[in-house]
Parts: sequence; C-alpha cells; structure tokens
Amino acid sequence: MRNSSSSSPVSSLGDRLRGADARASLTALFESLRPDLVRFAQWLARDRAVAEDIVQEALLRAWRSRDALKEPAAARAWLLTIVRREHARLYERKRLELVSLDEAAEIPDSAARASGDAELLTLREGIMKLPLEYREPLVMQVLGGFSTEEIARELELTGTAVLTRLFRARHKLRALCGTDAAPGAAPREEPA
Amino acid sequence: MICEDARLLIGADPESASPELEEHLHGCAGCAALREEMRRLNADIRRALEQPPDLHLPRRSTAAPRWREWALAASVVLATVAGIAVWLLRPTDTLAHEVVTHVRGEPDSWLSAHSVSVGALDHSLRRSGVGLDFASDRIVYAQSCWFRGHYVPHLVVQTAQGPATVLILRHVQVKAPDYFHESGMSGVIVPAGDGSIAVLARGRGQMGDLAGELRQEVHWLPEPKDPS
Repeated sequence: MRNSSSSSPVSSLGDRLRGADARASLTALFESLRPDLVRFAQWLARDRAVAEDIVQEALLRAWRSRDALKEPAAARAWLLTIVRREHARLYERKRLELVSLDEAAEIPDSAARASGDAELLTLREGIMKLPLEYREPLVMQVLGGFSTEEIARELELTGTAVLTRLFRARHKLRALCGTDAAPGAAPREEPA
Repeated sequence: MICEDARLLIGADPESASPELEEHLHGCAGCAALREEMRRLNADIRRALEQPPDLHLPRRSTAAPRWREWALAASVVLATVAGIAVWLLRPTDTLAHEVVTHVRGEPDSWLSAHSVSVGALDHSLRRSGVGLDFASDRIVYAQSCWFRGHYVPHLVVQTAQGPATVLILRHVQVKAPDYFHESGMSGVIVPAGDGSIAVLARGRGQMGDLAGELRQEVHWLPEPKDPS
C-alpha cells in the first residue's frame, strides 16, 4: 500500500483496544471509512444496493477479525481488501455481471454532467464498461492505492499479468478519450 | 530497458519512476511524451473515480400504467393516515411496560431449552448492528423483533435462576437503571452506550448481575442501512 505506515507492533490493535471506549473508537474508525468503502464497492459492483450489502458484510467480517488489524493507519487498506474479497465472493457465487453493459451505458451521470466535463463523463462511462478483470485492478490501484505487487497478491496473478491488465485498462480508456495512438499498443497476451 | 517494456510500465503505472525507466526516458522522447500523456490521463481517471458512479435500480418497465401511479399515491396516503392514527392511539406507557408486553407476545420463547445456532444468533444481532461477546451456548432463543421502529435482538439466556429474556435496544436511551415488576415479570433496563438493554425474568428474579454482564459484552456495530 502506498504511503502507509510500515511499523510492526507486537500486539494487535484489538489487543490494545479493550472496553467500551476502544470499541467505540474502532466503530468510529470503520464508520469514517465507510464512504470510501461504498464508493470502492460501487465501482466494482456497479450496483448501489449490492455495494451496500457488500460493505455491510465486509464490516461485519472485519469486526469479527478485528484482532488482525495492527494499526489504525492500515485500516483503510485492510477494509478495502475485505470489501474486494466480499465482492469476489458474491461475484463467484452469483456468476453475474450486476449491471449489464447496456444498462451501464444508459446510466445518467449527474456528477459528470453537473461539472459539464464531457471528458470526465466519457471516462466514467468507460470505467463502468470495462470488464471486471480490467476494472478491478484499476480501481484497486487508483482508488485503493494498492501497489502492483499488492494487487498481484490479492488477485492471485503474476506481477506481469497485473501490469498487462492495468495497461489494457488505460489503453481502452485512452482510446475512448480519443488520444489512442500506435505507440501504446497493447502488450502480448498476459501470463496467467 | 527497451521501448516495449517501458510502455507497458508507463501504461500500467504512470506514476512509476524506477531507475531503469528514468534512464530509458532520458534517451527516448517518444516514451517520455507517452508518460506525460498517461499521467494526465491518470489524473483524469482519479478524478473520475473520486465520485461514486451514478447508479440506479434496473428498470423493469419503461412506463407504469397511470392507474398504478394513482394506486401508489393512494396507498401512500392510506399508510400515512394509518401511521398517524397508530401514533395518536398508541398507549403512552413506559418502556418497561412495552418490553413486558412484547415479551408476553412471545410466550414460546421461554420454553426453548437448546442453544441456538451461531447463524441464528448472528442474524438477530447483525440485523440490528449489534455485536455481542457472550457465550452463545447460554443463549436458547434468538429472534430479530420489531420494537419501537427498529429491529432489536430478542434473546433468552439460561441463568442459574432460570431463563432470562434480553432485548438489546440500540435506539432507546435510559439515564439510569430502571427496575420494574409487571405482569408476573421482573427485570431491569440499564443504559448501555448510546442504547440500553432490558433483562427480565418470570417471577421475581434478580437480573442486575446478568444486565451488568451484558453491558460489558454488547457493542454497537455500523448499523445496516437496509436491514432484511
């Protein structure tokens, strides 16, 4: 995780956070990160209700295994990882794309329209249309702040495969924005 | 580093600045220009992701019949009127009375003898955003009940004095322990964080110890947005 602290405390945060005040602190910490988690889940799931469910389930899992959280500074990355896994679990279980590409294309984007930024609107629509295999590492990298190595570990891919997926994701978005050019041609097929 | 590797790295992570890449960029204007372009694109992608996507529920039909709109409006009005009527006619009794009334409505809850499954307990707790560090084998009944506008965990705990009913009232605050005896039941409602816990037993059991124990073990989790 970029810009995250790398201390290695002996005891877990859960060990040190005992009692009602500590629980309240941890709850407050989780709540403060909730908007980030929901936004992350929404970009993954492309469905508001499903994203809310994913985050709720992830927070419950996180609470149960709160002893694994070593430092409050690591909470965001830790929770984002749990959200991603929860999304993957749901995705594998239901085997569905939660919003079809056609529906995604029809989604009115008030945020972008309000800003009057056509390129931003195009990009947001483009990200929404990216297949999950490209969208997921991109969102993890840009929104979650995960490094290539962390994404590879989390997605159980080689580093080169992650680089390829990220390259292709940007390549597609670049093409959407009308700046695609031959020099950025897609790399060879990624290793699994 | 050759151009192909450099471009892969730039496209995958425009913010990357490895020594090998930097060395290559010094001597390759094409790759250097590509990185500048990809960094601008990356800034736009970051901006695009900063706001959650605008999502709405999938449309099932393109246009609802007009009668359906009227039916919807009528049902909203009826529901509002019914809600106001219920509110106005509700008994202005105490919290203890409401708790006793609720528990009397589930007489079978006292009869349970076997520990509830972890899943059933978990469901009743999570629906209300409640965490409980309590030996689950002592809990013989766990339901999620509608009480004062919220789902609350309704538990029955086996104690040395027999079964005791517990309602964990996340949304109801009390300032001090409120002991009561009503309709053949006695108990106490104690403050717990921003909420309260009601513990009661049939007869004249002493519920103070159990209430104190639960107070230590209950904690509030992020509340579900749409409990179901």
